[in-house]
Amino acid sequence: MEKQVSPKRIKVLLSKSRMDVHDRGVRYLARCMLESGMEVILSRHGLIDEVANAALQEDVDVIGISFSVGGHVAASERLRKLMQEKGIGDKLVIVGGIIPDDDIPALKKLDIDGIFGAGSSAAEAIEFINARVNA
Amino acid sequence: MFDKKTMEQVEELKRGFDAQMKKRYGDKPFDLKTDGGLPIKPVYGPEDVQDLDFKNIAYPGQYPFTRGIYPTMYQAQPWVMQQIHGHGTPEHCRERMDYLAQLGLTGYGEMRSYNLVFDQVCKFGYDPDNPENGDMVGLVGVNMSTLDDYDRLLNGLDLTKTSVVLNQGIHSMIALAFYIVYGEEQGVPKEKLRGNTMNWLFKGWMSDLEMYPPDSAFMIMSNFIRWCSRNIPKWNTTNIVSYFAEEAGGTPVQEAAMAMAISIELTKACIAAGLEPDEFLPRFGFQIALGMDIFEHVSKIRAMRRMWATINKERFGAKDKHSMQIRCHSQTSAVSLTAQQPYVNIIRSAYGALVGVLSGVNGMTINAYDEALGIPTDESLMLAIRTHQVALYETGVPNVTDPLAGSYYVESLTEKICQEAEKYLDKIEKLGGFKKCWETGWLREELANSSYEWRRRIDRGEKVVVGLNKHRSEVHRKTQIYKVDPEVKETCIQRIKEYRATRGKEKEREQALAALKVACQGVLDNHKADFMPALIDCARARSTVQEMCDVLKSIFGWGTVY
Repeated sequence: MEKQVSPKRIKVLLSKSRMDVHDRGVRYLARCMLESGMEVILSRHGLIDEVANAALQEDVDVIGISFSVGGHVAASERLRKLMQEKGIGDKLVIVGGIIPDDDIPALKKLDIDGIFGAGSSAAEAIEFINARVNA
Repeated sequence: MFDKKTMEQVEELKRGFDAQMKKRYGDKPFDLKTDGGLPIKPVYGPEDVQDLDFKNIAYPGQYPFTRGIYPTMYQAQPWVMQQIHGHGTPEHCRERMDYLAQLGLTGYGEMRSYNLVFDQVCKFGYDPDNPENGDMVGLVGVNMSTLDDYDRLLNGLDLTKTSVVLNQGIHSMIALAFYIVYGEEQGVPKEKLRGNTMNWLFKGWMSDLEMYPPDSAFMIMSNFIRWCSRNIPKWNTTNIVSYFAEEAGGTPVQEAAMAMAISIELTKACIAAGLEPDEFLPRFGFQIALGMDIFEHVSKIRAMRRMWATINKERFGAKDKHSMQIRCHSQTSAVSLTAQQPYVNIIRSAYGALVGVLSGVNGMTINAYDEALGIPTDESLMLAIRTHQVALYETGVPNVTDPLAGSYYVESLTEKICQEAEKYLDKIEKLGGFKKCWETGWLREELANSSYEWRRRIDRGEKVVVGLNKHRSEVHRKTQIYKVDPEVKETCIQRIKEYRATRGKEKEREQALAALKVACQGVLDNHKADFMPALIDCARARSTVQEMCDVLKSIFGWGTVY
């Protein structure tokens, strides 16, 4: 008899700057992800370096950063660079929050996999992750 | 409220009305709720206010101030148009201050009023060159790190005719110390300065940001209030902000109850620091949300005025009427603004302004339409100011104080919100009061649940947000977004380095910072000392924001509660 292999539980690290209070969206997303069966670590960071370190330590499949007060392009660039250096460049990176349309091309160029700005639903982000991890 | 004969008449008419409704709709329930989830009926009548006690409503300017804190409101004095702003260097911010003045922004009487928001870096107590600041210099507030920055921001203004809101968040005591020294060096004694500090260290309960721990926070706040009450009695010390509770997901009932719970805890702390209620309560202000459900929010503000008056009089024995009057600053809802079709936000904020004027608030910030996307542009800021001005000069609403008084619906909803908020407050107190509920995270969880429900309702389409989950459109998707000058960070870093190299007063500063440490220890030792005089000495000795905050953090503790 063939052994049933259940798909690995997807592990997501969600983070937001510890100077940015606008956490309503990311907290909602975290809860929806949990309900959909994912494992979620919701954290705060000072420098984006902390996120890269945590992602490595926790061996996550997905990194999601919420930005509500700008600085997303510079932080994304540094995050991608650090991930390469740490050998976790293959992990999925998504960003969300207030991401102006004008910045989307720059983020795509930086290899940000998913961009979920204002108006995106939690379901869209979850679907996106499910389609890519364990695919 | 009505005599027997009138009520007999009412009952007869009501029977007719009920029969009519039944004929038209059968027994189908309407199942209506306010945005905050309170059940309401499609129609209200005299029977809904019959049992209300008129003493709880009274006239405007009469205890318990349900209808407003003064006998007349805008007929005598328009609300303060307090547009919150701040970005970049002090020069950028000053440019905006002058622009706002030119657009007709006014304060009380002859005063000009400026509501200044500092950047995250100074709010959290860092200097601009600290690598911990996460690139936030001047991004969503003005960077104000040294005494020189106060001169850059304020030079040429007559401080005796200027009222400033120093929103350096939990570190607004630092801003006040700088402001006092700046005034002193301009020849204006501290007693003549007018304005507000936030002093909202209780705000940590609703977030997982770094903060002073709850016990220290209440020691700091009450010690600050004690010093201000005794030394600059006209200064408005504290902003009991419940706006953030609403913005983080709280319902109007939760917002009202949480504001009262905070105020009660802080009042107790001030009494423990040796003050009488009438010495400090008149200098508490509130910042209340003007949400989208118009009548619910008007009723909430009326209920809050009544609750605060009652609590301070009955529980704390306040005698001065100013201790019972909520000076109410307010702000239109930001959480209801959408990034989609941003111009629609102009309409939302105008309705929010209507809530403010109908409620008789004393000050108002009307959010600019592009605030879901970034800090306002000159154009969006102008439209926000014009929204104030149209409400004031064209709508006729300000002519009559509390014009909704006597409305069957609004009076009954005011009573309902009062009762529900009292129940909720009771629950908080049974759980040990505000500080305990902050420590345990109970309050925060309550808000998270409300916020979750709110978003769930939107995602399921049960709650319609125009442009977000209904009537979506790509038209007007593009809006100009304000971009902060990219040079700001470099400029501020360069300036602070130069400042440290050239400021002099090394010896004085070393002594002042050491004395601050001792004073802070004294605060924790049952208020044996005041920290403000030491902080002012540090500002005189040209300390930077971070140098002072590092001392506070080392004594009072610093970190995340959750």
